[in-house]
Amino acid sequence: MADNNTNRKPTPMEALEAENQKNGMGLKARRRIGNAVSYVVLILISIVWLAPFVFLIFQSFEVSSTGWSSRVWPKQWGFDNYVYLFSANANFNRWYFNTFIIALFCCIGQTLMQIAMAYVLSRFRFKMRKPLMNFMLILGMFPGFLTMIILYTVLKDLGMTGANAVPGLILVSIASSGMGYYVIKGFFDTVSKSLDEAAMIDGATRAQVFIKVILPLTKPIIIYAILTSFMAPWGDFIFASYIAFGNPNGYNVAVGLYEWLGTEQISYHYTHFCAGGVVVSIPVIVLFLMLQRYYVEGVTGGAVKG
Amino acid sequence: MATVVLKNVKKIYNGGVLAVHDFNLSIKDKEFIVFVGPSGCGKSTTLRMVAGLEDISEGECYIDDVLVNDRPPKERGISMVFQNYALYPHLTVYENMAFPLRLLRGKEKMSNDEIYERVTDAARILGITQYLARKPKNLSGGQRQRVAIGRAMVRPSKVFMMDEPLSNLDAKLRNQMRAEIILLRKKIDSTFIYVTHDQTEAMTLGDRIVIMKDGFIMQVGSPTEVFDRPANLFVAEFIGAPKMNTFPAKLVKEGKKYHVECFGCKLPVEGEKADELAAANIETMDVILGVRPEHMVFSEKAGDGLIPCEIAVNEMMGSEVHLHVNTLDNPDKPTSLIVRIPTVGLTTAQRQNLVAGTKIYIGFEGKVMHFFHPLSIEDQVLQNVAARKEKGMSAEGIAKIADMGEEKARDLIQELIAKELLADHKGRYVVTPAGKVEAEKIKDTNLLYGPGEEAAASQANI
Repeated sequence: MADNNTNRKPTPMEALEAENQKNGMGLKARRRIGNAVSYVVLILISIVWLAPFVFLIFQSFEVSSTGWSSRVWPKQWGFDNYVYLFSANANFNRWYFNTFIIALFCCIGQTLMQIAMAYVLSRFRFKMRKPLMNFMLILGMFPGFLTMIILYTVLKDLGMTGANAVPGLILVSIASSGMGYYVIKGFFDTVSKSLDEAAMIDGATRAQVFIKVILPLTKPIIIYAILTSFMAPWGDFIFASYIAFGNPNGYNVAVGLYEWLGTEQISYHYTHFCAGGVVVSIPVIVLFLMLQRYYVEGVTGGAVKG
Repeated sequence: MATVVLKNVKKIYNGGVLAVHDFNLSIKDKEFIVFVGPSGCGKSTTLRMVAGLEDISEGECYIDDVLVNDRPPKERGISMVFQNYALYPHLTVYENMAFPLRLLRGKEKMSNDEIYERVTDAARILGITQYLARKPKNLSGGQRQRVAIGRAMVRPSKVFMMDEPLSNLDAKLRNQMRAEIILLRKKIDSTFIYVTHDQTEAMTLGDRIVIMKDGFIMQVGSPTEVFDRPANLFVAEFIGAPKMNTFPAKLVKEGKKYHVECFGCKLPVEGEKADELAAANIETMDVILGVRPEHMVFSEKAGDGLIPCEIAVNEMMGSEVHLHVNTLDNPDKPTSLIVRIPTVGLTTAQRQNLVAGTKIYIGFEGKVMHFFHPLSIEDQVLQNVAARKEKGMSAEGIAKIADMGEEKARDLIQELIAKELLADHKGRYVVTPAGKVEAEKIKDTNLLYGPGEEAAASQANI
């Protein structure tokens, strides 16, 4: 038995290991060093990335604020900032409500527009289909804020600026949402067309095919559409700021909170701003945690299979 | 009653691609009709036009004497089984089968109890009762196919369509399912349209077979008719496996008798064939002679009317041996033939001796011969140029195909250009749309059972 072991021909892996050892370093040792370097880099990146969030959360519990401080750890802990946010003195309630309404309507409107657009472009064949898709691709390359001036004029004529900025923002977001059909179309394309045909032969109308066959099969991507269209208005700043045009009643949270960072207000509102930041992220985090399983499936599914 | 009539149906895709050309067919009530042909012949397109999944470019389609050209699929009273099963992945087998029933409205609307009864009945017939609660992804290919058939069965329909339903199954399962479809057909008792590229399926399942090529119907007939009386060379070679041997020969009339001359042999035409040739008053002419591999016999010794050959390949199939042989009459240009020999009649020594390189002699009787008009040089050129599509062919290439000098070939090209069948594209020649139609019409018709007879029969049905 012992003889067998000593006379045995080394496996290719063992031979390689022996070769490496001869050259000074084993394969395992090299792998370990490589891993260690990767981890160090990753940890550093994580710290850089997470530090502002940690800082924000700690500062939101600071009671004795006198404006911008370089401290991370609060001197005195308390919920005062949060209480202030929802008090009658602050306009935060209004901004938060505005943002929620915009997000809700955008979420419904954008999702419907996007899935309708994606379904049509995935399933129907019409003459200008390809040119239309190319046109939208090129149009999408221009930054959205190029349309700022004309949009403002149109919305002003419609009476949707200033204090009435909320319906204006909803309109702007929904009107251009059809162009974000790409990922959803990619997912729809992975559903075999013969399912549509089978359902039509089984007696379904186009609408029934869509509702009873396509929608259940593309649930992940629909969830993805809902999530992204809900999340976008929470961070929207450019449009929200110029359509509200300085009227605090028309602000969304991003614009309102930014207002607090002005030179005159920062000393008073700095910790309120931090608390506001935390409160703003809560609904998005909750929604994301609830739907994250579908979100990941939706994004990768559409991209890889499509 | 559920008849299907197609009158001058054409399918032209965007860009002018002709998929189906002037399709005329009348399908009788409760008939099992099979569309068969190589891929791209237009069989699935034709089926999809009947189903309403493709628009009909020209012509009329009637189901039960009702013009259905502009009706959506659900109003045509059809059910269909797809090649890839097309089961709804998010529904259980039960819900998949109940799906078409749940969509019924008005007078046809069914209660849950009725739906349950229908679905379980169909499941029992197909032997899938134990899988009703499963999702399609948890089923094997054969089980999925059964579910797809079940879903088509439960819906009250006039015409039952199947688009290559067995092509995704392995060979063993395919044979089993084929037998089950034959049994199923007896139970359903409806009009069937079945599409396949497999001639065995077509022969075993169909009451009548429609053989298609390049969008044209080549022949319509019962399995026996298309096997025994192929309308042209394409049908002759497509139906039957291995395919029919075809080679140039000379048909000679001597008084009232006929014989053929090929490979240096003189073989008499006998039986019905001789009578039919005499009745059609065929004179001496060059022909393409067709003989099926199973109608050839072999001998190890030379004899009168036996063609000397050398075995090139020996394919042992178990119950039979397929011998690929080369004739020895012209060593520079040997003709390849296939001979199918049942192993039951062979001695062990014979089996061992039938190896590549062995010289054998093959023969065939006069009553198994098929005679086809040879393709004209023009047709050969058109077919070859058409096969090159937009690239076309040079005059040199055409001369090679036409087996003539380049000068003569140029005359032929000019002639074809004058007839507007060919067009000149900077020294390369391409077929015109008219030339394409001409090229696709197979002219090497059977001397005795040409398409004239079939076309007349097909018209009479309409």
